[in-house]
Amino acid sequence: MSAVFRAARGGLGGRKLQAIIIGLVVLVATAASTLALGMLADAHSPFDHAFASQNGADVAVTVDTSIASAADIAAATKVAGVTAVAGPFAAENVNAQVSIPGINGTVNNPMNLVGRSSPGGPVDDLTLQQGHWATSDNQIVISSNAPGQLGSTITVNKHVMTVVGVANSVTNTADAWVLPAEMNAIAGSGQAQLLYRFSSSGSSTDITNDINEIKAALPSGAVLGGPVSYLDIRESEQSNVAPWVPFIIAFGVIALVISVLIVVNVVGGAVVAGTTRIGVLKSIGFTPSQVVACYVLLVAVPAVTGAVVGVVCGNLLAAPLYRQNAQVYQVGVLGVPFWVDLAVPLAVLALTIAAAVAPASRAGAMSPVQAIATGRAPRPRHGFFAQRLLARLTGVPRPVTLGFASPAARPGRTFVTVVAVLFGAAAVTFGVGLSISLNRVYNDISNGARMPVQVSAPPPGALGPLGPVSVGPGRGSKPHRVIHVIINGPGPGTLTAAQQHAITTAIAATPGALHYLSEADDNLSLPGLGDVDGGAQVTAYGSGDPSWSKLVLISGGWYSQSASTPEIDVNTLFLTDTNTTVGDTYTLVNGTRKVTAKIVGQVFAPGNDVSIYMSNATLTAIDPTVAGPSTYDISLKPGVNADAYASALQSTIGNNYGVNADSGGGKALLAVVTLVVLLTLLIIAVAGLGVLNTVALQIRERSHDIGIFKALGMTPRQTLTMVICSVGITGLVAGIVAVPAGILLHHNVLPAMAHAANSGLPASVISVYSVPEIVILALAGLVIAIAGALLPASWAANSRTATALRTE
Amino acid sequence: MDTLVQLENVTKRYDGAPVAAIDDVTLRIDAGEAVAIMGPSGSGKSTLLNLIAGMDRPTSGAVLVGDDRVDQLSEAGAARFRRKQVGMIFQFFNLLDDMTVIDNVLLPAQLAGAKAKAARQRADELIDTLGIGPRRDAYPARLSGGERQRVAIARALINKPALLLADEPTGAVDTTTGDEIGRLLLDLNAQGQTLILVTHSPELAHRYAQRVIHIADGRIDSDTRVANGPVPGARP
Repeated sequence: MSAVFRAARGGLGGRKLQAIIIGLVVLVATAASTLALGMLADAHSPFDHAFASQNGADVAVTVDTSIASAADIAAATKVAGVTAVAGPFAAENVNAQVSIPGINGTVNNPMNLVGRSSPGGPVDDLTLQQGHWATSDNQIVISSNAPGQLGSTITVNKHVMTVVGVANSVTNTADAWVLPAEMNAIAGSGQAQLLYRFSSSGSSTDITNDINEIKAALPSGAVLGGPVSYLDIRESEQSNVAPWVPFIIAFGVIALVISVLIVVNVVGGAVVAGTTRIGVLKSIGFTPSQVVACYVLLVAVPAVTGAVVGVVCGNLLAAPLYRQNAQVYQVGVLGVPFWVDLAVPLAVLALTIAAAVAPASRAGAMSPVQAIATGRAPRPRHGFFAQRLLARLTGVPRPVTLGFASPAARPGRTFVTVVAVLFGAAAVTFGVGLSISLNRVYNDISNGARMPVQVSAPPPGALGPLGPVSVGPGRGSKPHRVIHVIINGPGPGTLTAAQQHAITTAIAATPGALHYLSEADDNLSLPGLGDVDGGAQVTAYGSGDPSWSKLVLISGGWYSQSASTPEIDVNTLFLTDTNTTVGDTYTLVNGTRKVTAKIVGQVFAPGNDVSIYMSNATLTAIDPTVAGPSTYDISLKPGVNADAYASALQSTIGNNYGVNADSGGGKALLAVVTLVVLLTLLIIAVAGLGVLNTVALQIRERSHDIGIFKALGMTPRQTLTMVICSVGITGLVAGIVAVPAGILLHHNVLPAMAHAANSGLPASVISVYSVPEIVILALAGLVIAIAGALLPASWAANSRTATALRTE
Repeated sequence: MDTLVQLENVTKRYDGAPVAAIDDVTLRIDAGEAVAIMGPSGSGKSTLLNLIAGMDRPTSGAVLVGDDRVDQLSEAGAARFRRKQVGMIFQFFNLLDDMTVIDNVLLPAQLAGAKAKAARQRADELIDTLGIGPRRDAYPARLSGGERQRVAIARALINKPALLLADEPTGAVDTTTGDEIGRLLLDLNAQGQTLILVTHSPELAHRYAQRVIHIADGRIDSDTRVANGPVPGARP
């Protein structure tokens, strides 16, 4: 056995470059696979992972401290089944004015504020995503879902606080946190929040029982609102996650496949390159099994190093990527599951060894003479015809034709390289298309993009004054040409005729508006919709053209305001739940009222809500209690700044109305696109490394031939050209095939994502590839191939002729 | 006769080697001469040839071939120099196995950017002259040792180089074939081709060269004219 070790050690020492390449490839493959598999695992149940790691609250209860005493609250923390409890924390619903640095004005926003001394605890361990926890008065930490950012000021009851941190609660237990002393000063201690974990909380029945235990321990009426169960949040989060799973799976699978291909190609090639040495070992007495053991060791040493470092790198790379992923999923934190950290390097090592065993066994089975001869002078067995044919192209420089003929000499290796580059280029095509599609969904189709400004009036008796003009980007937004509205105040009320007149007059007097629509909203429980929470969301646009809403139709057309038969437009979930299609009629039933309407169009409105769009007349017929519109939606002329318009409109219309603007997309789109870009770059890196290895192997095998070329007068530039051309044709072919493959992937994954979001897709979201883009994308394979080949090509170009000629 | 090759105090020492492969060698070779360089294994014969061909760079000293200061050329410059001035013949032929005879012969001309028609004509002439016309479309694996060396000679001559360098040209062939190759080289020299021939065979050296330089441990041991050797420029 010591002879085997010595031979392996000698082999490693003599082929340092090869060992480095093996180590590097295994490293990258392990890192990519760790990332990919981790993401696939997280996609399965990201909320559960985050909930477990953050000790999420099974139940969150808000208690009225004017009814429940401290002793009552203490008793409520010890009910049967409690395994952990956090609190009581002082809590209050407040009206906050939020400012964004660099932008004039503030945003009014109701907030659930809680006093906590630290983010950690036995229950609801908060994840700090930015900044730090409050350390003194006048500091506030906001939830990642709340408006504002680091450095923003938030004013509550004239207390001005600075946002010093952004944290995430996996079950969204609060919108913001301050220190307990600050809480007392701001809002007193009228409410207390208790967060529980129970031994039995797996089902809604368990949760109901747990909540009953808590209520029983407290005086009647002490529990405010409905206690929040993690199951409700989990269901909501799962629906957030579901649309992203298909694309995560697509990228994850590509990364895994390409990693496998590259490892097999690299390791197999490395062993084949050592055939001469195997022959020499056999000639001095090594048995076939000793030869196999020697070469397994030879690849295992760099492979183990690469695998260990690869897992570390995979976890390090995962941190920013998973942060993006967590934002996309809207869960607090994601991480690489431990079993992935264990399974991936073991699997990659097993693959490496398997890839080494096969060629080593083949070489070990040869006679020593045969092995030496094969390795020393590997006669080409393929590519003669290509070489001959290309030599006839007298108009093409000879180094180019030599390069083009090269892939034919090793068809197996060329095929693997083509596949690797194809996957890389397909990932680029898919990634680009996905980014464009998502950009269209978020920026062009989202509420924020379509009708950026809304005007409403708060209902009578609404909490607190409206405060100053509230103009500014809302949550997660950035300044945009057209932006979405946040209704000011605690909620919309029906506008009277006088209010409607005042609003339309103000809109007419304020330059910048393109269109406006009045909007009446309702919620109806309709038969055939199963147990969809909250019934159907109904929207009736006023007398304007409903197409001004810029909601995108997947099929059909908009309802007519003046049709003799009532017409409605619906979203995909409506059609799915009612088993209807565009063109069918559907009878809306509300109590004793019935209206039969024709479904004339399918609207792109993904999500968990059934949505129906109709005229005011149809809405009045089915629900006369809706007296009129509650909001006016305004779209702006190109170039008009929404913040400026909203501010101008507010000053025209006065403070009795809420005017606000919000941009759509923003943070969520950035998170997704960043994720797509990172994943695509990773796959390109693996593909490029595969090309580098192939070219390095090729140069090593042909180094003697390259020496002959140089001896005959081939300059370094001609050598570089020859090597680049040897992969260029491969890359170009792979790129051309990759484009339709990537488009096919896009056309399959996107509908799957939409399906998971309970929606169809408008054509504008699917048809995103223009001809110029396709042409450029087809070059992606060429670029990847050339990038991977540049380094070894320059080695070949700069090698000394005499040294190359001496190579055997 | 004009001096074609000039080495002035040339030394070549490889990294880590205790002794120099070529140690302070000064040498002049005239145009049209046939010079044999002899010596035992490891004496520096092939190294000397590589230095003259610009395939390696001396540690010190100057190497001139014609007007070219070979030791100062870049890799690209050296490659262009070899195309123009040097034809190389190797012991183990160094043909490209995946190219036919004609494609092997044409390669230096194509790398030099020669016009296709003219290069083809020249290649055909050489192939016919060297007696391998019927094998023009064959691959090297199908050729005998002698035929392969003829292909190598044709390839070396296609760009009409001033200097022909042959490193053990008969080392990989049988005696009879070796004689044939030797006579070919002699013929070429008789037509005015400058020839530097590396060999460890005294018989070959004395038969086909006018001058024999003996090299040992990187130094020139002796440099003698061959009595009754071939006359430069004269047919045998």
